[in-house]
Amino acid sequence: MAAINLTKMDQEIVQKIIDHGGKGITKCIQCNACASVCPVAKAGFPLYGRLLFRKIQTGHFEEIIEDSSSWACQACNRCTEICPRDAKPFEMVFAFRRIQANELAISTSAFTPLMNLHATGHAVYSEASKELRKKVGLPEVPVTSIANEKAQEEIRTLLDNSPMAELGIF
Amino acid sequence: MEKCGIYLGCNIPFKAPDIEQSFYKVFPALGVEIVDMEGATCCPAWGTAPSFDVDTWLAVSGRNITIAEAKDVDIMTGCNSCFGVMSEAKHMIDHDAERKKTFEKNLALIDRKYTGNSEVYHVSHVLYEKVGMERIREKLKYTLKQLKIAVQPGCHILWPSDVMAVKEKNTFFPTILKELCEVLGAEVPHYTKLNACCGMGAMRSTDAARSIGLVKEKLINIKEETDPDMIVTTCSSCYMQFDAAQKLLREKGEIDFEIPVFYYTQLLALCMGFDPKNVAAISETPRDAIIEKIQSEARLSN
Ligand code: SF4
Ligand code: SF4
Repeated sequence: MAAINLTKMDQEIVQKIIDHGGKGITKCIQCNACASVCPVAKAGFPLYGRLLFRKIQTGHFEEIIEDSSSWACQACNRCTEICPRDAKPFEMVFAFRRIQANELAISTSAFTPLMNLHATGHAVYSEASKELRKKVGLPEVPVTSIANEKAQEEIRTLLDNSPMAELGIF
Repeated sequence: MEKCGIYLGCNIPFKAPDIEQSFYKVFPALGVEIVDMEGATCCPAWGTAPSFDVDTWLAVSGRNITIAEAKDVDIMTGCNSCFGVMSEAKHMIDHDAERKKTFEKNLALIDRKYTGNSEVYHVSHVLYEKVGMERIREKLKYTLKQLKIAVQPGCHILWPSDVMAVKEKNTFFPTILKELCEVLGAEVPHYTKLNACCGMGAMRSTDAARSIGLVKEKLINIKEETDPDMIVTTCSSCYMQFDAAQKLLREKGEIDFEIPVFYYTQLLALCMGFDPKNVAAISETPRDAIIEKIQSEARLSN
């Protein structure tokens, strides 16, 4: 088996990760500290922390682009807290997730919250909440964007003018 | 009177409004005026804008922060995820000049301006830092003496600690929630998996079985090591996971016990004497028996 030469990082992919918010990717020395505290690793997903960063550093991108492990990342930042290189692994996982998202390598369950966000300003909304709220003595709707046309327009303006609009999700 | 802008997020107002009601009861009684943040949206949740584009995330989070700024108040979030998302967004806006430029351009599209004057706090931070133990103790009607609590602080108020408004001395051995429970009179023993993730959030929607596996392990660890009267958390997601997953696991015969779950301010509201029909009315895992025990004559503090 040929040895992997870490100095020959796939510059294009690494740059892509940096552009999507993962600027620490070149700092990662594969120590595995991040994976040792990561719930994604603990739960048995195949592509977590260090392993993901190694695939990226060595240019093995096509083989991982469809993997759903990054979508299980809890954004808990345990990894960032303990990374001895201040590589901010959480940011790298999310940078990879953003690249996947922009190629629509996402689960279909991700679409409803996005459409809700665009329509109401809330990713989670259900009509059934009105009854629940009444039951505990609250007004049927809270004073958030759900009851506020202007707020809904503002959020649509932000989303419609963002790169997300080009994906045709809303 | 101290003021705080209440940021509700999505889960609390639409799925667990009894938590929201507990804020409205508890805080004014403790001397904190709750200021509504009209027109606030989703934080936006990690699985939405932050998963696609950093600048869109910052625009939506920053817009929410400007609502508090206009009222000259700090933000108090009830959801750990909202706290994490907005704390990180604010940190980025305040420390990355390039991002800030784009952010300001985006906010101009909706005629808003960011000043940076409002800090992001979590409900538990406000209780711990702004209200303080003394004021909480003074307002208690019932005591939790001889009751045992397993605490679940939740991930997003702990890490990354450099963006947190109120810091734990050791984020891997957090004590704020423990102290908040102890002031109610309860015993709060340590358990091995105190810091373990409950599996809610993105993992729950990506792979339900793996997510439930994590909470099952944690529940069994809690039961074996502490056998508590209840689980108490300051995270609405952890709350929903611990509450709903127990039902699932019992139905499948994977656990044979039942531990009532409370969001911290629900428990505090009960100890202050508020009506459970308002502040602790919705749950999958039954809470009636323990609520009755808490609000019993034998537990009156004076
Ligand atoms: S802890 Fe940091 S340096 Fe170590 S493997 Fe993870 S990202 Fe790389
Ligand atoms: S932020 Fe994501 S990658 Fe980092 S420890 Fe948490 S779950 Fe793992």
